[in-house]
Amino acid sequence: MRFPQPPEVGPFRREAWRSPVRGPWLTSVLGSSLLPLIVICAVTGFLSHLAYDPELGENSSIGAGSGLDLKLFLWPTTPVWLYAVVQGLHVGSGLVAIPILLAKLWSVIPKLWERPAVRSAAHALERISLALLVGGALFVFATGVLNIQVWRPWSFAFVPAHYYAAFIFLGALALHLAVKLPVVRNTFRREGVVAPLRESREATRPEPADAGLTAPTSPGPTTVSRRGLLGAVGAGSAALGLMAAGQSIGGPLRPLALLAPRGGEYGDGPNDFPINRTAEAAGIGRDRIGPGWRLRLAGGRERALSRDELLAMPQTQARLPIACVEGWSTTQEWQGVPLRDLARLAGAGQEEDVFVESLQRGGAFSSVVLAGNQVSNPDSLLALRVNGADLSLDHGFPARIIVPAAPGVHCTKWVDRMTFGQV
Amino acid sequence: MVPRFRDLYGSRALHLMATIASFAFIGLVLVQVFDGLSPWNFVLWLVAASIAHDLVAFPLYTLTDRLARRATRTHRLPLPPVPAINYLRVPAIVSGLLFAVWFPLILGLSENAYMAASGRGTEGFLPRWLAITAALFAISALLYALRLSRARSAEGES
Repeated sequence: MRFPQPPEVGPFRREAWRSPVRGPWLTSVLGSSLLPLIVICAVTGFLSHLAYDPELGENSSIGAGSGLDLKLFLWPTTPVWLYAVVQGLHVGSGLVAIPILLAKLWSVIPKLWERPAVRSAAHALERISLALLVGGALFVFATGVLNIQVWRPWSFAFVPAHYYAAFIFLGALALHLAVKLPVVRNTFRREGVVAPLRESREATRPEPADAGLTAPTSPGPTTVSRRGLLGAVGAGSAALGLMAAGQSIGGPLRPLALLAPRGGEYGDGPNDFPINRTAEAAGIGRDRIGPGWRLRLAGGRERALSRDELLAMPQTQARLPIACVEGWSTTQEWQGVPLRDLARLAGAGQEEDVFVESLQRGGAFSSVVLAGNQVSNPDSLLALRVNGADLSLDHGFPARIIVPAAPGVHCTKWVDRMTFGQV
Repeated sequence: MVPRFRDLYGSRALHLMATIASFAFIGLVLVQVFDGLSPWNFVLWLVAASIAHDLVAFPLYTLTDRLARRATRTHRLPLPPVPAINYLRVPAIVSGLLFAVWFPLILGLSENAYMAASGRGTEGFLPRWLAITAALFAISALLYALRLSRARSAEGES
């Protein structure tokens, strides 16, 4: 079978690609470095989906009727740092992978322009698969990076789009690995895994032109060694990794995360730590949280409690992180009433689910269903104070939920009503 | 003679099986996408992301590198003992990557949404990125000057 071919001009000429360090060895090293990061990013991303307990109520952000909205187990409440680590790793591994991904695309770009453009049916299918692989990868990385900066120039819902694109990417990646692992193995056998790293710039030799399509047929002058190029990529990854670590680990590292969305300086006050929605943006007027505010409980019976009545109940103190899906977290000292005490007051069992509603009207997380294992944990609180002071308005005054190991958006602020059981 | 599978298809049968498995799985995902998720905007992003990288970003940064290489190449003799190009490339790559990742905050594209989410403005990000860029190029210049003077004094001794 013969297919029409592009003309042999410009980038379609193989000799137009002259970098002496480009070739299968460089691509293999970049691919091998990328793979563990992508595995971490994918696994933590999927765990994050499960952390929302999507089987409960309207908790799932993926959308009803979806065959991929997998529900495997109830999210645990221990260790308390579980979600902070999961999301710190998810956003961190993704950011660290970006320079490596871009370098890998640089290393294989001659393949985009290869002639003949289509050699066989197998080759055509492989090129379609590569288009899905690259498109899927750029889609997940771009949407993830833009979403954590709350810039969303798209009309789809972020969570399902990011989730589905990840599956497209992984589906194409599985095939890519099956096809390319033998190539990587042969390349490392031929060139060695680390041997090319020992070559200085002067000693750098291009890979033989028959090693693969990306190796140069007429190499230009060598301006950088392979280890130099990988070092520059590593410097980029380190810079992005520092941003991610700073806003996830916090403490003395947070001020170093100069460009991260929740990095930089915060004050020293008891309420000076990051948030993901201001009271103003949530439409919480001072009239609704004044002395007239009541926590409305329902379950076996209905109760309405003022803030003073809640403060008069036995208080529990717990040092817990609040961790955002966007990859930042912060650990604080919370004080308030255990959720299981409120369940008892409402005449419900301590293992009952609870439907929590915020004063916030609208918005994706103005209400949530917490599972029985979360209600019964003694450190799951309706927090009234933090670090020895009343909650600030932005942190959810008069009262907010804080649950160990739960995603931040499930720690509902400005709580209005809690309905135990029959959710 | 009956043509063998490989001659017809272009690879082993195993390749075809794996390919069908991968495509069928991706098809399953796309069915979900088209079941109520602004599907055309999704597909647009899938395609546009590749075009933005392969046909816009890649040519732009390769062209920039080519210009920088031309600018640092000198025909005067004696040649400088240390090539300058990588002392330009490394700070440019790190600064450029930081911009490529954080440009919405640096350019304040999400000012209102970021204020609503974090209670802070975006005005600090551009100065901080510029400060990082300044520091990276200053350190690189310092290292280059050191390498240059060391190489020159070594030349003087020989």
